[in-house]
Amino acid sequence: MSTLEEKQNDNKQPEVEIDEVTNVKLIGGHEFDGIRELENPLPPWLKYLFYATIVFSAAYLILLFVFKDDSIIQDLEYQKEMAEARGELEKEAPEEGVEAVAVVRTEEDILASGEKTFTKICAVCHGKFGEGLVGPNFTDEYWIHGGSREDQYKIIINGVIEKGMISYKNQLSETQIQDVISYIHSLKGTNPPNPKAPEGEKYVPEEKPEAEKNTTENAVDA
Amino acid sequence: MELQKFTYDNKITRNFAVATMVWGVVGLLVGLLVALQIFIPAMNFNFEFTTFGRTRPVHTNAVIFAFVGNAIFTAVYYSLQRLLKARMFSDLLGKIHFWGWQLIIVSAAVTLLAGYTTGKEYAELEWPIDIAITLVWVVFGINMFGTILQRRTTHIYVAIWFYIATWVTVAVLHIVNSMELPWSALKSYPVYAGIQDALVQWWYGHNAVAFFLTTPFLGLMYYFVPKAANRPVYSYKLSIVHFWSLIFIYIWAGPHHLLYNSLPDWLQALGTTFSVMLLAPSWGGMINGLLTLRGAWDKVRKDPILKMFVVGITAYGMSTFEGPLLSFKTVNAISHFTDWTVGHAHIGALGWNGLLTFGMTYWLIPRLYNTKLYSVKLANAHFWIATLAIIFYAVPLYIGGITQALMWKQFTPEGFLMYPNFLETVSQLIPMYAIRAFGGGLYLVGMLLLVYNVVKTVQAGSFVKEEAAEAPALKPQSKAKTGSESWHGFLERKPIRFLIWATIAILIGGIIEIVPTYLIKTNIPTISSVKPYTPLELHGRDIYIKEGCYNCHSQMIRPFRSETERYGEYSKAGEFVYDRPFQFGSKRTGPDLAREGVKTGRLYKPNAWHYNHFIDPQKMNEGSIMPPYPWLAKKDIDLKSTAPRIRAMMKLGVPYPENYEHKANDDLLKQAEEIAQNLREAGIETESTKEIIALIAYMQRLGTDIMKPVEEETVEAEDHD
Repeated sequence: MSTLEEKQNDNKQPEVEIDEVTNVKLIGGHEFDGIRELENPLPPWLKYLFYATIVFSAAYLILLFVFKDDSIIQDLEYQKEMAEARGELEKEAPEEGVEAVAVVRTEEDILASGEKTFTKICAVCHGKFGEGLVGPNFTDEYWIHGGSREDQYKIIINGVIEKGMISYKNQLSETQIQDVISYIHSLKGTNPPNPKAPEGEKYVPEEKPEAEKNTTENAVDA
Repeated sequence: MELQKFTYDNKITRNFAVATMVWGVVGLLVGLLVALQIFIPAMNFNFEFTTFGRTRPVHTNAVIFAFVGNAIFTAVYYSLQRLLKARMFSDLLGKIHFWGWQLIIVSAAVTLLAGYTTGKEYAELEWPIDIAITLVWVVFGINMFGTILQRRTTHIYVAIWFYIATWVTVAVLHIVNSMELPWSALKSYPVYAGIQDALVQWWYGHNAVAFFLTTPFLGLMYYFVPKAANRPVYSYKLSIVHFWSLIFIYIWAGPHHLLYNSLPDWLQALGTTFSVMLLAPSWGGMINGLLTLRGAWDKVRKDPILKMFVVGITAYGMSTFEGPLLSFKTVNAISHFTDWTVGHAHIGALGWNGLLTFGMTYWLIPRLYNTKLYSVKLANAHFWIATLAIIFYAVPLYIGGITQALMWKQFTPEGFLMYPNFLETVSQLIPMYAIRAFGGGLYLVGMLLLVYNVVKTVQAGSFVKEEAAEAPALKPQSKAKTGSESWHGFLERKPIRFLIWATIAILIGGIIEIVPTYLIKTNIPTISSVKPYTPLELHGRDIYIKEGCYNCHSQMIRPFRSETERYGEYSKAGEFVYDRPFQFGSKRTGPDLAREGVKTGRLYKPNAWHYNHFIDPQKMNEGSIMPPYPWLAKKDIDLKSTAPRIRAMMKLGVPYPENYEHKANDDLLKQAEEIAQNLREAGIETESTKEIIALIAYMQRLGTDIMKPVEEETVEAEDHD
């Protein structure tokens, strides 16, 4: 039996066939609908690339399974990242205070910064112009939780979760909070389109003019 | 030896070729639609059946299973007969295969648009269609192996190795991933939950890329490239080495779709390492394809078919280089959930699958119609348009993806997120999306040129339905390996043995990765505070799946500072044990929702906000690209289906109290009324039985279980499921 098969192959390829264009041997006995195959070896660089990826993989798996390296175990990686972030923030904190004193911020700076935060964060619930949406209207004189800066500061820090207002303690810096409060105060009486009906109680500010209060507080804060 | 006369069946090839072009146009057209929808909400037409969450799966399914699928069958039915010197085993099976497949495609499009989806990417089709696919696939298999066994050649050629591996692996992947328990005529829940579901799904998903988009196209390449170039294949030895290493290694790489997810580290490491080891075997295919053109490069300059093959194979080389790159965790930390992945996928789809299919079609149609191609010039134009289109498509997505990822990760010196509002990072992408849509449109124009050219060619020629051929009968084979025969040479004349070896090669990786997650409890530590969904939340979850929310929203917070600062505590494996199907998602066109319901979290929104947002997202966020879902406020929750849903879940092991299916609707109505009442307090008048209430209930449940203060996390083994 076996010789039969061989003879068959032998008959087809009495001598070694060569591809004329590249001068490479053709595989004997292989012809499929006119397609032939050459006897080229694997390109060496490809072979070594393959070996290199295998070595890399072995090393990677050993790092994980044997050495339990914290660059691969993601819980540890996360802890490291958080610890580093904390360390960096602590380092930077005092310097930042020193720098900030030197910065003189005008009323416009404060309101511009406040508006930026407002558009990014508050507008989603309180409307683009503070007209109120799911959250209350900021442009009228009525406040549900009080209309003073202190009241609003508390709301931003603590939230009113039963109404859907979350705490922004970890998302906004002290300056950003103060600025956005100033911006919210600047909205009073702007009469935007589609205002939400007033909610809460009418708030009458104390004698101290609003603008003056802003600047002093911000200076202290900085 | 006496020559046997027989004919090749060209009709089946022609039919598949026509279907390829028809579905190609449809798939690309829907692709263009979704490319516009993603940045123009009005393109969703405010209509549930044409909303992105439903049209995007139609696009992916149409392109993968209809366009590429039919292209595979065109190639197989043409090349198999000629490589084996035998007519197809059965004309009838061929017809059943053809019409069965087209019927599956049509039913897929209809059911997906109607909202029947399993919620698992590239496996969205529901259980009756899953069964139909299995049957048609078996018919295809019988027809293919029947032909192989009736062959008149001693050995089977490398293209056929790839066809065999394709057939067996797709069968295994499809059957295992589609294991689901039906609870209605068109809906089911998967037998896997959470992490296991994700693992099985991406073992499937990744290998759908491998064994539906890659191996059959390597087979196609091994036939049509040497034919078109009239050159021998560069290296037989390389064929052997890269074939076996490719099919063995590919199957392991699935977990790279879940890097930094709450998948055990060892699984992620296997995903990374096997993806890296896949580079050389993949490039083996590219090199064997490109170097086959050695001595024919002067032809390549003139022939649009060869040009398409060259760029297609190069695109394959690029995306298989990029694949391992994206599997490094450091790269994946940036690329995952962004448009980078989408760009990567389209280099493969538009470049490799598209251009190879086009080249094949230009080569094939004139031969089937015994004429010349109507216009080589037009084909050349198609080549340049398609190549440009790929660049216009992919480059903006790379830029956009990386930009967005960096914005997500940017902190201020004070330690706050620089861009806490997700929308800010989306607004940056709009111009990129516009350019991408232009690229997609351009690619469609090229496709239309092909159709025109083919129609003109067909009109000029006459169809050769039966192509006469002759060959001597296959001589009796030695059962054992002969002395001078190589091990592989022997295998090449033993197709069943070849099939068995290929099956073993593709089973190993899957078994080693999937089985331990069931046997070793520490892989998915139990969290005792995680409880099954309430009936209302379950309905809401099923609506979330029906509307395809997972196409744009992930539910998987990765363990990065930038993600925990934005979304809250990172996701844990034990949180998903009742998620059937899992909904981790693979793209964040919108923000992650894994902790949406956590009241102390970063993303919490009150019921009223959700209500308004579902009805009109742009009212709440001016620049939002989310489509509106007003019908949710009009449609009633399907209360009749509560019992079958709960019963199916209980059968799958979800610990609802005994006979709970009868009481479930009482609980449902009570919870719904609470939400409706809360909405009324906020000034929204609504009935409590509307779908929107269920979806809000689900939103408010998301991610809350592990935040419950009373019960602590227990890592110890405790039986669940």
